[in-house]
Amino acid sequence: MSAGLARAAHPFTSGAVALALALLAMLAPAPTGPPVAYAAVCVAVIATGVGRAVLIGLAVSVPLWLLLVVMHGVLGEGARLATPVGGTLSISGLAWAVEQGSRLAAIVTASLGFARAFDPHRFLQAAIARRWPFAAAFLVVATLDAMTRFGEQAIRLREAQRTRGLRVRGSLRARARAVPALIFPLLLASLTDADEQVLALETRGLTAPGRRTAIDPPPDTRLDRLVRWGSLLVVLVAIWIRVR
Amino acid sequence: MSPRLFALIPAAVAINLVIGRVVAELALPVYLDTLGTMVVAILAGLPGGLLVGTISQLLAGMLSGYQWLAFVPIQWLIALLAAGAARSGGFASPWRSGLWGAACGLACGLVSAGISYLLFKGVTAGGVTAIGALFRSLGASLPVAVTAASLSTDLIDKTVAFLVVGALLRALPRRILGRFPLAARAVGR
Repeated sequence: MSAGLARAAHPFTSGAVALALALLAMLAPAPTGPPVAYAAVCVAVIATGVGRAVLIGLAVSVPLWLLLVVMHGVLGEGARLATPVGGTLSISGLAWAVEQGSRLAAIVTASLGFARAFDPHRFLQAAIARRWPFAAAFLVVATLDAMTRFGEQAIRLREAQRTRGLRVRGSLRARARAVPALIFPLLLASLTDADEQVLALETRGLTAPGRRTAIDPPPDTRLDRLVRWGSLLVVLVAIWIRVR
Repeated sequence: MSPRLFALIPAAVAINLVIGRVVAELALPVYLDTLGTMVVAILAGLPGGLLVGTISQLLAGMLSGYQWLAFVPIQWLIALLAAGAARSGGFASPWRSGLWGAACGLACGLVSAGISYLLFKGVTAGGVTAIGALFRSLGASLPVAVTAASLSTDLIDKTVAFLVVGALLRALPRRILGRFPLAARAVGR
C-alpha cells in the first residue's frame, strides 16, 4: 500500500473503515481477540499512511491502561497473582484490564487514524456530490473551522491574561480563579461571532432549497466502493459469529 | 433550520471542545465541556441543544476515541434540563442557577454512573476514575465506587456550569438577549 492511502481514498471510505475497525474491536472475543484487533488496527493505520495515529493513540491510551490495572488489577477481587516487584494482582481483573485496554486502544487508534486522514473540504465536496443534506455536511465543516479559530483564540487569550498577572498554575484556588478570566471572553466571543455570521449565511443562501453542484468532488473509485462494502460484510460476519 | 441556529451550532460545539480543553489544562476537578450545549438549549431551544450535544460528542469521539459516544445521552440530558431551567426562569439569580445545576449534576451523575459501570466497568476519564479508585481503596464495591465518583464530580461540574451560564446570560447585552425570547425568560426579563 502506498503512503497516504487513507488521505487519497474517498472520504467516506476512510470513515467506513475506521468505523468497521472500531466495531470489530468491540466484537472481538476475549482473551486473544481484543489484543489481535489492536495490533491489526495499528498495522492498518501505519500501512495507509496515518501511522502517527498509533503514537497519539498510545498517549491517549496509556493513562487508561494504568487506570484499568489499578482499578481492576490492584483493587480487583478473586484469585490473586504474585508480581515480581512485590504485591499481588487480581487474575480476572488483570484479564479484564488487558481485554478492555486493547479494545479501547484499538478504537482510539482507529478514530485518530480517521481524524488524521479527514479533509473537511473533500468531505464537503463528497457530501454534495452524493446529495447528502447540505446542512449536515456544512455543520461538520463549519464546526471544525470554528474549533481551529476558537482554539487559537483561547491560546491568545490565555497569554494576554497571563501578561496581566493571571495565574494558571499553583494552588487549586488560584487555578479556579483563572476560569472566569479564560472562559467568559471565549463564550461572549462565540456569541458575537455567531451573530455576525448570520448575515453572511443568509446572503449566501445557506438555507435556500435546491440542489448544489460540487466543484471538485473526490473520485469514488471501484476500489473505494469495494473497500466500503467489504468493511460492512466483515462487520456483519463478525456480528453473526458473535451471536450464533 | 434558521441561519441563526446554523451560525450558533458550530460556535457552540467549538466552545464545548475548546473550553473543555482549557479547563483540563488547568487540572481542575471539573470538565465544563457542556457549556455550548447549555447555551444553545437556552438560546435556541431543546432541538438546538440536542444537536450541539450530539455533534460535540461525535467530534470528541473522532479526536479521542469513538467509545465516548456512549455518553451522548448525558449531553441530551443536559440540554433537556438547561432548556427546562430556562423555561422556568432558572437563571434569574445565582441561587436558582446553582440549584438547577445541582439537580442536573445528580441526574447526569446517575446516568453517567450507569453507562460507566455497564460499558466500561468504571474506567473512563482520568479524574473521575481516580476518585472511583480512591473509593475502591476505601473498601467500597465497584458499583458503589463508580456511582459515588460520578455523582460527586458531576454535582460539582454541573453546578459550576449552570452558575457560569447564568452569569453569562445575565451579562448579555439586551441587544443580543432580545433576539432569544427563551434566554430572556431564563433570566426573568
